[in-house]
Amino acid sequence: MELLVSGLDLLLNWQILLAIPLGLTLGIIVGAIPGLTSDLGIILCIPLTYTMEPTLAILILLAIYVGGTYGGSITAILINTPGTSANAATLFDGYPMTQKGEAFKALSMALYASTIGGLISAFVLLFAAPPIAKVTLLFGPAEYLALAVFGLSVIAGVSNDNIFKGLIGACIGIFVSTIGLDNISGMVRFTFDNIHLRRGIDLIIALIGLFAISEILMKSKYNPRLDRKIVDPSSITRCTVTKEEYRRCRKPISLGTIIGVIIGATPGTGGGLAAFIAYNQIKQSSKHPETFGKGEIEGVAVSESANNAACGGTMIPMLTLGVPGDGATAILMGAFMVHGLVPGPMLFKEQGNILYAIMLGLIIINISLWFVGKFFTRFYAHITRIPFELLSCIVLIFCTAGAYSTNNSLYDVYYIYIFGIIAYYLRRMNFQLVPILLGIVLGPLAETNFRRALILSDGSLSIFVTRPISLGFLLIAFSSIVIFTAKSFASKKVPKE
Amino acid sequence: MKIKYNSEILAGFIFSLVAAVLFLLIPSEIQTLETTATNAQTIPRIALAGLFIFSFLLLLQGLFLLPKKELVFGEELYASRDFKDSVRSLVYIAIIVVYVFLFKMLGFIASNIYLVFAILLYYGTKKKSYYAIALFVSAIVYLIFTLVLNISMP
Repeated sequence: MELLVSGLDLLLNWQILLAIPLGLTLGIIVGAIPGLTSDLGIILCIPLTYTMEPTLAILILLAIYVGGTYGGSITAILINTPGTSANAATLFDGYPMTQKGEAFKALSMALYASTIGGLISAFVLLFAAPPIAKVTLLFGPAEYLALAVFGLSVIAGVSNDNIFKGLIGACIGIFVSTIGLDNISGMVRFTFDNIHLRRGIDLIIALIGLFAISEILMKSKYNPRLDRKIVDPSSITRCTVTKEEYRRCRKPISLGTIIGVIIGATPGTGGGLAAFIAYNQIKQSSKHPETFGKGEIEGVAVSESANNAACGGTMIPMLTLGVPGDGATAILMGAFMVHGLVPGPMLFKEQGNILYAIMLGLIIINISLWFVGKFFTRFYAHITRIPFELLSCIVLIFCTAGAYSTNNSLYDVYYIYIFGIIAYYLRRMNFQLVPILLGIVLGPLAETNFRRALILSDGSLSIFVTRPISLGFLLIAFSSIVIFTAKSFASKKVPKE
Repeated sequence: MKIKYNSEILAGFIFSLVAAVLFLLIPSEIQTLETTATNAQTIPRIALAGLFIFSFLLLLQGLFLLPKKELVFGEELYASRDFKDSVRSLVYIAIIVVYVFLFKMLGFIASNIYLVFAILLYYGTKKKSYYAIALFVSAIVYLIFTLVLNISMP
């Protein structure tokens, strides 16, 4: 209770209350622009938050995350292109509604469902996270190592149905995290006598390179004449949601929220999967399933409530265990670390007031989403008109400035482009980048605790399997990897003629 | 000439090779004096061994389990959209490489002027307003970082 009050005290200042709508606006814009994602928005803004207080910085980034997840629905509804992967299920009914001249109604329902889903998940986070964190305070080095392995097993769910590619990504990430000075022995590793590599590769540098630069390179084949989709502002008419429709959408929103929180809290999943599962469930249980996919407002409500509810859900394992729920939370976890907050069991003990401020802040963010979203509805058609060729210049300029400002070093600028070009070719070969990021984020945690645990056990590996919590996490991690490997092999076999 | 391949063969081969070379470099790149069971070399060894094993398995998967694409070198390939996109991406990468060199030699402002013109010309942009907006944003970014965040840009 004391921490809650102190968190509230930290939260209630004019800077934060001003920054939240600003972050939401940025997030909505980034999410609404096809080709940009909330992940990219978070990455580009991390360097701008260096000089800010951790609470303010994290809340701005969280607002971008929440705003971006909602913002992605705008293009899904208006131009049949989801702004983020989390909004893919919104396409099914959102765009048909636009074709029927009900774009404003679909956008209003998306905002309403996103707000409700996000708000409830923020409350779940506030009440569920502290008890989980209390249990995790009992963890020692063996449990931490098992947690890191468990976190790495998230790659099973995000490996684009080829587990080997995910595992390769994780190994690359862990290897990159070992470059530079070893904190325990003081020895340098893989610096190739380059003094600039002694401090290692900063997380933010890897993030900018892996996600932002590679994203811009992926769009190098964009053709402004063929690939551009523009919305006519007059298509957004004032066709509002009726009371009867709000009443009808209560069940889809409730179901979407529950599924969103549960799926979001499961590492390796995310809002996209939550939205698809929720959409499928509501369609199956509906009395009129034939209307789904043809502009059914319940379809928009269920998918949007699910993906925004997943935002709060993904934060539960991230804050309590230090295990990110999806790609965006892995990036957010990096942002926490940049600001000296290491997500995981110790965070509640050492910086509980900041954490409560952030969790309470998520509630305010979701309430503000309603007002900011309402205000911006009339401008949505114009957001989608921003040309990508112009955006790519601006993003590259921001990335370069952000990378340079990290350590005032030209080498960091070189690194982002090296990472970006490698990541671009990896993506062309159907590799996912989240496993690399997980390796970089969780590698140091795994290494430090692996070595500490072995010192405690006099070099015996049995410490990892004789402690029940550690054994439990390791079993879950390995079984999920084995199941996905088997599935991967089964699905990739060339059928015999 | 024609070759059969898939991305798994390509990635598996490249990463097996990279992992093997880096693994052999461990003794010279990590000179540790520790006598404990685990030392500064342990995790890099595990990561690189893992990289080698999984890359090799990916290579085998690509060779024996997955369908392969046939690539025939000739007029048809050079006229295909895929080939043109690959060349375009190489041009884009070349623009970025030159930008990074200019960033070091000429500084933030001058290199960004080059970047804006190079990228917008790459996309075939004729609207002068786009050039003006991009240059204006570049100046704003410079001012934010130097005056607000107190970072001296090159």
